[in-house]
Parts: sequence; C-alpha cells; structure tokens
Amino acid sequence: MIELFNVSKQVPSGSETLTILHSLNLTIPDGQFISIVGPSGSGKSTLLGLVAGLDAPTEGDIRIDGESIVSMNEDALALLRGKKIGFVFQSFHLIPALTAFENVLVPMEIAGVSKAPARARQLLEDVDLTARAGHYPSQLSGGEQQRVAIARAFANDPSILLADEPTGNLDSHNGRHIFDLMVEIHQRRSATLILVTHDHNLAERADRSIALSDGRVVADLGPRVLSPPIGAEREIDRQEDRLTEGTHATEVVQS
Amino acid sequence: MNFVMRMALREIRSSWRRLLFFFICIGVGVGSIVALRSTLQNANSALVSQARLLLGADVQIDSTRAMDQSTLAAIDRVARSALVTGRTETVELPTMTRPNDSREGALLVELKAVGPGFPLYGDFNLTDGRRFDAQMLESRGAVVGQTLLERLNVAPGDEIRIGEVPFQIRGVISADPGGGTGFRLGPRVFIAKSAIEETGLAGLGSRARHRVLLSTSESSPDSLASLVSELRSALKDNLITVRTYKESEQNINEQYTRSENYLSLVGLVILVLGGIGIANVTRVFIEQKKKAIAVLKCVGATSRRITIVYVAQVLALGASGSVFGIVLAKLALLGVGTYFADSLPANMSYSLRTGTVIQGLLLGLLISFLFSALPLLRIRHIRPNMLLRNEDDPLKRKIDLMRWVTALLVIAGLVAVFSWQAGSLKVGAFFLGGLAAAGGLLQLASLGLMWIVKRTRQIQSFPVRHAINSLHRPGNQTRVIIMAVGLGAFLVIAVQSLQRNLLLELDPANRGNLPNMYLIDIQKDQKAGIEKLIQDTTGERPELIPTVRARITAINGREIDLGSGEMRGDRGRLGREYVVTYRPTLDANETIVAGKMWDPTPVNEPEVSISEEMQGLQGLDVGSAMTLDIVGRKLTARVTSVRRIDWRKSRTGFLILFRPNVLENAPTMYVGGLNGPADDLSRSRLQRAVVEKYPNVSIIDVAEVIQLVTRILGNVTLAVTFVGGFVFFSGTLILIGSIAMTQYQRAYEAALLKTLGATRKIVLTIVVAEYGLLGLIAGLIGSAAALGLSYSMARFLFEIPWSLEPSIIVAGIAGTVALVVVVGVLSSLQSLSRKPLGVLRAP
Repeated sequence: MIELFNVSKQVPSGSETLTILHSLNLTIPDGQFISIVGPSGSGKSTLLGLVAGLDAPTEGDIRIDGESIVSMNEDALALLRGKKIGFVFQSFHLIPALTAFENVLVPMEIAGVSKAPARARQLLEDVDLTARAGHYPSQLSGGEQQRVAIARAFANDPSILLADEPTGNLDSHNGRHIFDLMVEIHQRRSATLILVTHDHNLAERADRSIALSDGRVVADLGPRVLSPPIGAEREIDRQEDRLTEGTHATEVVQS
Repeated sequence: MNFVMRMALREIRSSWRRLLFFFICIGVGVGSIVALRSTLQNANSALVSQARLLLGADVQIDSTRAMDQSTLAAIDRVARSALVTGRTETVELPTMTRPNDSREGALLVELKAVGPGFPLYGDFNLTDGRRFDAQMLESRGAVVGQTLLERLNVAPGDEIRIGEVPFQIRGVISADPGGGTGFRLGPRVFIAKSAIEETGLAGLGSRARHRVLLSTSESSPDSLASLVSELRSALKDNLITVRTYKESEQNINEQYTRSENYLSLVGLVILVLGGIGIANVTRVFIEQKKKAIAVLKCVGATSRRITIVYVAQVLALGASGSVFGIVLAKLALLGVGTYFADSLPANMSYSLRTGTVIQGLLLGLLISFLFSALPLLRIRHIRPNMLLRNEDDPLKRKIDLMRWVTALLVIAGLVAVFSWQAGSLKVGAFFLGGLAAAGGLLQLASLGLMWIVKRTRQIQSFPVRHAINSLHRPGNQTRVIIMAVGLGAFLVIAVQSLQRNLLLELDPANRGNLPNMYLIDIQKDQKAGIEKLIQDTTGERPELIPTVRARITAINGREIDLGSGEMRGDRGRLGREYVVTYRPTLDANETIVAGKMWDPTPVNEPEVSISEEMQGLQGLDVGSAMTLDIVGRKLTARVTSVRRIDWRKSRTGFLILFRPNVLENAPTMYVGGLNGPADDLSRSRLQRAVVEKYPNVSIIDVAEVIQLVTRILGNVTLAVTFVGGFVFFSGTLILIGSIAMTQYQRAYEAALLKTLGATRKIVLTIVVAEYGLLGLIAGLIGSAAALGLSYSMARFLFEIPWSLEPSIIVAGIAGTVALVVVVGVLSSLQSLSRKPLGVLRAP
C-alpha cells in the first residue's frame, strides 16, 4: 500500500519558489492499476518520482507498506527501490555500456539474487527479446529498448511498478505493445502499477485514473467508480478535452 | 563484491578507449620512475662492486709525499698481521711525455709507477690478449693507454720519454684495474716503481701520490676495521690517509641514494602530471556516466557500491598502466644501454631492479587512487531524479565535509608518497609545496592571459571570435591543457636555454683574456728559462705564480682529527691538500668581505687571508689561528681577512693566501697561464718545446679540457632533455586526453554550425584558432617561467653571466603552438567530419 499525506513539493525558480504539488493526499491499495493524467507541468512525473523516493517532498509524508520513506537516506531509498519498486522511463534509460541481458541482470546482481542469469533470460523471453539479449542499447530500436527496460523493472519482482510515459517516445503500434506487456505482467504478478500518461485511451484502461492540474488532484475516478467527486465534473470535462486535443496533436505529428 | 567486479569489468569493456589515456598517463609516469631508479641502482651496484677495484686494494694508505723508512716500517709492523695477504706500492702523478725521437707532439698523461705484486685486485689485460705481468716493466718498459699511441703517433716497441728517461712501449692497455671510470686528464702510462726515481719526477714538491696497497683475507668487516684503526693510530702524525674499500662503498652508496631520490622526484613530477590527467579523465568520465549512475541508483545500488565499482576500475587501470610503465622502463633501459653506455660505469647491468618494479606498481596504484578520489566523490551527488527531469543537480552551497576530509587525506597521501620517494619528509613536503606553488602560478598566469583573450572578443573574424568563446565553454579543458603543456614547455625550454648559456660560457671566444694553457710544476730554477721560452714563442711574458703545498693540521689550536664525529662532515675540506701562494696585494678578481687586507710591507708574523668558501670551517674566521703543515714543517698563521674570489675571471684562485716574507724559502713550484697559439700544430710544438727542455713541467691545454667538459655537458643535457621530453610527452598526452574528453560536445557544435551554414573550412579554422590560442598561452607561460629558472640557475648556481637567447624562446613558443594545433586538429578530425544529422540525432 502506498500512502501520501499532505505531500507538497516546492522548488526554487530564480528568486521565487515554485510549488509543483499542493498538499496531496492519496492512498493506493496493493495490486491496483492507476493512471495519472494531466497537462505538462501538472506535477505527474514529480509525483511518480516522490513515490519512488527519487526525490524528497518539501512537506508531508509518504509511506510504502506502512513505512515512511521521507526520512530515509539516499542509500536506504536505493535499497528499498531495489527490493520493491520497478521504474520505466519515457526515454528508457538503459545503461549504454551493458548489453540487453546485462541491463536486466544488474538490479538482481545489486540485490544479490541467486540464479540471476536464468531469471534475466526468462524476463527477456517474457518481453520477446531472447534473440536480442547480446545487443547493446544503441543496437536496439526504441520499442525494443523499452521492452528491455520493462524486463529490468520487473527483475526483482517488485510489488510496485512505476512508469513515466513509457510509450511517449514510441509510435502507436509499439506503444500499444509496451502497454499490453506492462498490464499483462502487472496482472500476472499482481503488482501495483502506476502509469503516468498523456494517452487518454491508455489511461481509461486503468482501474483508477487520477487527473492532476497545477499540482492538485482534480479528479480521482475509475471505471468501477462511476460517480466523480462532487463539483469535479466540469474540471474533468475540461481536462479530458485538453487530453483529447493533445492526443490528436501527437497523432498529427507522428503521421 | 560480485556485482562490483562484474560491473567494473563491463564498464572497462565499453569505455576502455576513453580510459586508454588514463592508462598511458600512469604508464609513462611509472615507467620514468622505474627506469630512473633502476639505472641509478644498477650504476651504483656496478660501482660498489668495483669499489675494491677502483681502490685497487682492501686498504689503501695514501700520502702526497714519499713515505720515509720509519713510516714504511710502521705500516709493515701492522701489516704483519695474519689478515694481510698481499702488499704493493704505487706512485701516481700527472706528467708530460713525448716520443723519444724527432716526432712531433707532447702529451699530458697519468703516470702510474707500480711495485711488484700489482695489481692486487682486478683484471689487467693488454690489447694483444696477454695479461699484464710486472716483468713487462723491467728495464724501462712501459704499458700505455691506446690514446697515447694515437696522439703521439707511436707504436709498441717505440720509445717515449718521461722526465729525463726513455721508456719502451711494451704493451697497450685494454682493461686496467679501476680504469674506465672517472675524469681523466690524459691516458694512463704504467712503469715500474723502481724506475720513478730515475725520472726525477717524484721528488719533493711534486704532485705525486704515494700509496701502499694491502689486500686481506676475506673475513669479518670488524677485523678489517680494526686493522684500519691500528694503521691510523700508527700513522697519526704523518698526514697519511688510510681508506678501505668498505668506506668507498659506503660513500658511493650515500651519493647514489641521494641522487636517486632526487631524480625520482623528477619521475614523480611526470607521474603527478599523469595524475592531473587522471583527475581530469575521471571527472569527465563520471560526467559522462551520470545517467548510468542514476539508473544504477534507481534500480537499487547505493552510492557506496557504485563508488566502489569506479574505484575498482581506477585501480584496475592503475595496475595495468603500471605494468605498461614497467614495460616502457625496460625499453628505456635497453635504450640507455645502447646510447649512453660510454658515460656509465663498465659492467653495469641494464635490467630492471625488482625493488623498483614493486615501487613502481605501488606508486601507480597510489597515484591513480589519490588523483581520482575527489572526482569519484561526485558520484554521491548524482541524484536518480535526473532521469525524470533533464536538469543538473541543484547547486550545493552547503560545505561538503566528506569532500574536505577526502581532500585533506589526498594531500596527506601525496606528502607521504613524495616523502617516501625523496627519502625525507621535509624534502617531500617542500617539493610538493613547490609543485603546488608552481601549478598555482601557472594557473594564475593562464587566468590572466585568458582574461586578456576574453577582452578581444570583439574581433571581426567569426572563427577567431568563436574560438575564443570555446575556450570558455562549460566543461572546457583550457586550464588543464595550459597547465600540462605549459609545464612541459617550461622544462624543455629552461634546459635548452641553460645549456646554451653554459656552452656560451665555455666558448673560447667568450672567455676574454683568460689563459687557454696552463703550465704547472715549474721549479724555482726553471722559472727564468720558461719565461724566456714562452716569450720567444708567443711574444708574451707569462706571469708565473709561486705555489706551496700545505695541509691544515690545527685550527685555533685544536688538532684536526678526521675520525672525530664533529669533524667528519668537513672531512673533504680538512683532509685535502691546499695549494697556497703569497703576494702583497689582492688580484683584480678579489674583494675583501671581512677583516682587512695587509699593506705591502713585509712582517715576520705569518698572516693569511682565506676565501669565503673556507669561512666557518671548524670556526675559522678573522682572528683565528690556523696551523699548516708545509712539507713537514708546522706553521701557525693568523687569519686577518676573508676574500671573495670571482672564479669566472680568475686565471688562478687560491683559497689560502699568505702575506709575503714567510713562505719564500719553502719548496716552491710555479704555475702560470698563457694564451698559446691558436692552431693545433703550433700549440703542440710549444708543448713539445717546453717538455723537451723541462721534462718535469706539465702543460694543461684548456682547449682540450673544454672539449671534454663540453662532451660531458652534452651528455648531461641530453639526459635532462630526455627527462624534460618525457614531461613534455606527458603534457601532450594530457592534451590529447583533454581534447578527447570534449569530443562529443565538439562534434555536436560542429554539426550545429554546419546545419547553420558553416563550411568545413570555417569549422576547421575555429579549431585551429582555438588550439593556436591555447598553444600560444601555454608557450608564453612556459617560456616566461623557463627564462626565470634558467636565469636564476645561471646566476646563482653556476655563477655565469646569463644572456637572453631569443631563438630558443621563439622556437619554444612556435613549437608549442605547432604541437598543440597539430594534436588538436588531428584529435578533432573525426568529430568534425561526421555528418550533422547523425550527430544531432544521437541521444
């Protein structure tokens, strides 16, 4: 379970302070698939980074399985991530010096997992990349790189998978494939999946969808939660219009 | 640990090209230290192993006077000990020789008259394959050096004249005991000791050294020491020196350890330059690896483990670089053996010494670690969050305690390394401090010049303007390049400039009116004849100066005891024989620095003036009483003044000068300098004419000595230039490495410029202008520093006039600019020739 209590994040911007997240409260039960949507600069990636312990909130508390991560030091956070959290980035972030196989192997080696090579092979097979195991990131296509990144994210069998616009750098076909893969693995391993996306269609397939705007939650709804919070309908409509426009714009560029 | 090792190996696998430079830096540094130390240790052990051969005995009893019967009896009493297995006597003196017929030529030789039983140690072989046999010297036979045959145009069987006596050449030396080392005025000539009396050369007042040589049975050093102390106490009052080969070994060892430690510091400078290169490579490397490090943190690796991964890489590179350095050192030693064997001791080995190899490995590892420690600390500050937003970590204003502690530890480590290498904490700390100060000055100078260059940005030419901007681009390598190249240029230019000044000083054309020939050992009754002969030949009357030989026996009433602890440090100055003279006034090159010069009236109380070099010797100063032994007679004189002698302008210089009216009746020899004829044949004829009439008189031809010194100086310069060249080479390596580090940025910039319409010519002009500026700044700084160093060394160390040599400076700066431009353009070519699209699309 992931819990956020009054989490806010401020960063200095020139001589002023810019508030990216405003006093956020959120509870995410185990095994849930959540999508986070919102325009650029609304704080989606920051929220994801805070949950992963990649950054610390200015105020508030974040708990993972009841344990506060706010007061943990860098190394404790690294260990926590190694054990519980997998991360998929928009721009893949594979280590260029390592082959696909080694990229998947690294988190297990860090955690000291036994039989890591066998598991790395299995993970690559899961993402259908057995044939490309010995290739370096520069020799792989964008879609292939992202599949390696997914295999890496699942290497230590994390209970939480965080994905920051994982399909943002891919064409729609590859994007769909990556998404399906993540959902499939999420279901198979019953891991919590938090997906930040611009893609309205992808967001809709989540158990629950959270809309952010200017660092505030403006909607928190899911297919099974039919009634939106009171007073939020208009904001959600506006949001979703914007999102649809964004999707169109992306498609125009890609075509 | 598994993860660390595997990650380190994988990283090296992919980045070894970028780290190659790291490897070479360490290799060159370690190589120079191992090569320098091994060469010196080999030379040392070659000399130590020859100490007995050089001395020709286990114990040598040495006197400047013929030993009388009582002295010889005293020696024999002690030498009757069971320890002594052999005994022989020798007399050595420099003298002139000439063919015993009408052939041209006369030559200064080192005459060695040997008794039966010689040599006690060592091989004495002749060129025809025979071994030396004392019988060869019987009935006026001589065994001579090869050079003598060439110079006097004589052959075995011919006769040469030594003193008044003809000797027949019975053999030519191929190897003689103790030969082949040291500075020689002329070839050696061996005759029988019994024949020396007949030549009339070894008489009172001559410069002959009389020696008794003893060999002993191999036993404990203690018994040798007790034999020596018995001899010393038996011969105490006779101004006779007793030496053992053990003591020579010890002296050689001490001298060599000192020079080895100092030379290793030069090697260490090269290694430190390599270290600066390493720090630079590591910094840029970590910068390039930022994302990979952030990813590792993101997937669970702690800063500590990642740091260990990179430390492991550094150590692996340090170790392999050191091994490479050892290979380089081996090659260097082979080169030394091939090209410098003439100037080094015979029988010297050219293999690597195990001790120095281990030292080299350790140093390579230590320097790699120390210089990469601070850049590696940056790993801690790389935040995984940068993967989400492409921004640099916020500026940390907080004082980073860890960084300061590490910096202090690194400095302490460097002081330890330097002190270890210098063999002294003080020297090590000072050397490191000096190096840091020099580096700081270079930095300041480069900042100043950069500031000036920045002011010229309004220049019309776009490429030049852009090049100036490039010097200030983020992540630029400007200061590192200027420092590395500037330091290399500094050493090379300084050595060249100093050598030019030294050679200029030795050039006969610049020696003004100084004599180019010296006549020595002229006896009183020969004075008038010599003066006339010289005047008839050269048209110039030589000034002949009376000299008397003396030894110090007491200062302020305290007897000189060379064995005592407090006098041991002054052994050289106290134990030597002084050539003294007397005259009423100062010479033109002398000034009084303490006391008062006597007036020309004669007095009866002996008075002396000492040179400032002797001031302070066991308390010697104005007012002191100094007791001298002059051919057996003791004479106590009061010191009334201290003189400063300008040795450069001196025809002769005397450390001890007597007031007239005291020494006139002592056994006197005259010396004199003259300007001989310019051409070789006339010089040779003049020498021949003098020796023909006055066989005991020796002639030193300064022209020949200068040739010899010039050759030695040439070798020294070559060696120093070689080391300086090594530094320059390291500088070039750092240059290449620094350029390689900015490769990507450069390629990106070039691609952008091309996209914006710049032709390849413009892009190339920018690169040439950028490196031309860098080279110019480095060359200017290096040559300015070099001028400073060569000036101060010339004026204060060698005490010779210094002149600016514009050609060296111009060549130095031009060479530096050319080198930096060529290296810069060559290393940038690849990144400049890539197609823009490929570069811009690369992640």
